[in-house]
Amino acid sequence: MAQIVLKDVVKRFGAQIAVKGMNLQVRDGEFLIMVGPSGCGKTTTLNMISGLERPTSGEIAIGGQVVNDLEPGERGLGMVFQDLALFPHLTVYENIAFGLRVKKVLEAEIDSRVRAAAEAMHISPLLAKRPAQCSGGESQRVALARTIVTNPAVFLMDEPLSSLDAKLRVDMRTELKRLHDRLSATFVYVTHDQAEAMTMADRIVVMSGGLVEQIGEPLEIYRKPASQFVASFFGTPTMNFLSGTVESTGGSLALRTANLRQRLPDSMPASLVGRNVVLGVRSEHVTIGKNGGNPGKVQLIEPLGAESLVFFEYGGATPLVAKIDPEMPLDTGDNLTFDFDPAGYHLFDADTGKRLN
Amino acid sequence: MTTPAEMTREQTASAGARNVRKQRLKTIARHAILIAWTLVILFPIYWMVATSFKESGEWVAWPPHWIPHEPTIKNYSQIFAFDTSEAGVAREATEQPFNVWGPLGDSLLICTVSALIALLLGTFLAYSISRFNVGGKHFRHAILMIRMVPPIVIAIPLLMYYAIMIPLAAETVLGTRIVLFDTRIGVSAIYIATTLPFVIWMMLTFIEEVPYTLEHAARMMGAGRMYTLRRVVLPLVASGMVVTFLFVFILNWAEFLLALTLTHPDVVTLPVLLNKFQSASEGRLFGPQAAIGTIITIPVVVLGMLIQKHLIRGFSFGTIRK
Repeated sequence: MAQIVLKDVVKRFGAQIAVKGMNLQVRDGEFLIMVGPSGCGKTTTLNMISGLERPTSGEIAIGGQVVNDLEPGERGLGMVFQDLALFPHLTVYENIAFGLRVKKVLEAEIDSRVRAAAEAMHISPLLAKRPAQCSGGESQRVALARTIVTNPAVFLMDEPLSSLDAKLRVDMRTELKRLHDRLSATFVYVTHDQAEAMTMADRIVVMSGGLVEQIGEPLEIYRKPASQFVASFFGTPTMNFLSGTVESTGGSLALRTANLRQRLPDSMPASLVGRNVVLGVRSEHVTIGKNGGNPGKVQLIEPLGAESLVFFEYGGATPLVAKIDPEMPLDTGDNLTFDFDPAGYHLFDADTGKRLN
Repeated sequence: MTTPAEMTREQTASAGARNVRKQRLKTIARHAILIAWTLVILFPIYWMVATSFKESGEWVAWPPHWIPHEPTIKNYSQIFAFDTSEAGVAREATEQPFNVWGPLGDSLLICTVSALIALLLGTFLAYSISRFNVGGKHFRHAILMIRMVPPIVIAIPLLMYYAIMIPLAAETVLGTRIVLFDTRIGVSAIYIATTLPFVIWMMLTFIEEVPYTLEHAARMMGAGRMYTLRRVVLPLVASGMVVTFLFVFILNWAEFLLALTLTHPDVVTLPVLLNKFQSASEGRLFGPQAAIGTIITIPVVVLGMLIQKHLIRGFSFGTIRK
């Protein structure tokens, strides 16, 4: 069993608290991704699970056993690092065999396991080469082969794709997902890239400032972000935000901003009246037309192929962005009208950033 | 008639040409001074090598013989040969022993052993400082302070320790006489102590170029600290260790004051031997001295040229990082 449980885990570095009371359960066999900006504590959390860092307080259990006092090599884990950490003075073969040699496995078994791992990662022709002679993608596969050869129950990955170019990153994402399905092992993956998180994870842990903002499945996090931070972190382009106050007129609620007055759905509680809130609307829920709705002026159009992004100003502090059909006849400087789809409203408290609807 | 615009163009062109001439003169002057100074610095070495190939009549001739008139290898054959003929034995009765083999052996043994031990100790200490912050954040700078003490300051106190205090203490406490004065162990010990700061400083630079993640990866695969050091870190700093060894060897090879103070008559290193050449019949034996000086200088120059590129890297004090 490869369930991982973190209970009230805290990590301090001097006066700075990198992880502030983490409670997390990683299910056996799941692909869990920890995502967040730099300095949010995701790598520190991963290092504590691996044993490379000791928690200041709290408990970490793997497979039901508390591992706080166990060395990294005793926890049955495999880890892939951001810079891959391939030994430059050893051949690919010796890199893959390193962990087996540490455990004093017999030479014949080392040979068969190394070759099997190389075959699985399609790097058999590289066994005699050194890491410096391998490309970025090949080095990535060598690092994976070195990890799978020891048959760990849990794979830890610290931004392993960050040094690859965009196309290779997409290819390797698929490769990792296939590897996960094939091995049925638990994967704990750290990244700052929300696209990686959305495409690969069974569940996502969103972190910020050492705290967990939200845990959930990718679509759940995208459709119902628990805070303004989560809402702004996920989705390309970034969600549109309008700050204002909720007011009540004729029994219905509306958001009053400096330039707009938007009616809120009837499902919004009346207790929101008078509250300072932030309305979040994704670009796909902003409708653009030539007539009716609120006025705006096109600042920039970004064609993406299947769709285009139109950035327009409406008198607010920051421009809004909408997704449009690339055939729509709009140009920079054109006047337009826009409206929002109420089904896509996300309401957040202006002070705490927490979701209200 | 020239227009004001044409006059301005002409003035600009001639000012430009004057500047170019000025720059050229400055460059020539700078190079001339550097060449002259280089010649001044290199002249004693040239004179030493030239003297080593001169007959005794030319050593102090006036006006000086800039190039040997009758070049000879007699000085070299004198210091290397065991002359057991009657003339040779008779000469040894009036002169100090020429023979370089003993001091050459002593120098090689002391310099090699002390460099190796300093390298071993210093590498492990540098690793501890780098990975465990042993001694705190200022330790790596404080270590170099040991080397700032001029040898002349410690030479006589060390003589007292070696010749009197240590034997006395050993006899009182252990009941046995331990002598470090005029021993290869004694000289090696002080060479290790004085070169350790350099080893630590240089190896720190090389060790800190090894990424932490390599050791983390080895730990994740179950490797202990010593296994990781042996199979991951040391192989990656091996070339740095060779450079450091050679550098320390050069320092020990040319060391004179401490060897002179702490040895006599059994242990003689080459720089100390150089000091000894006197003859009842010929006075100061400049020819054989120059021959020994040349022998001492050759390894320093050759090894120095081999490692100079790496020395610059080592002395960057970790300020240039990848």
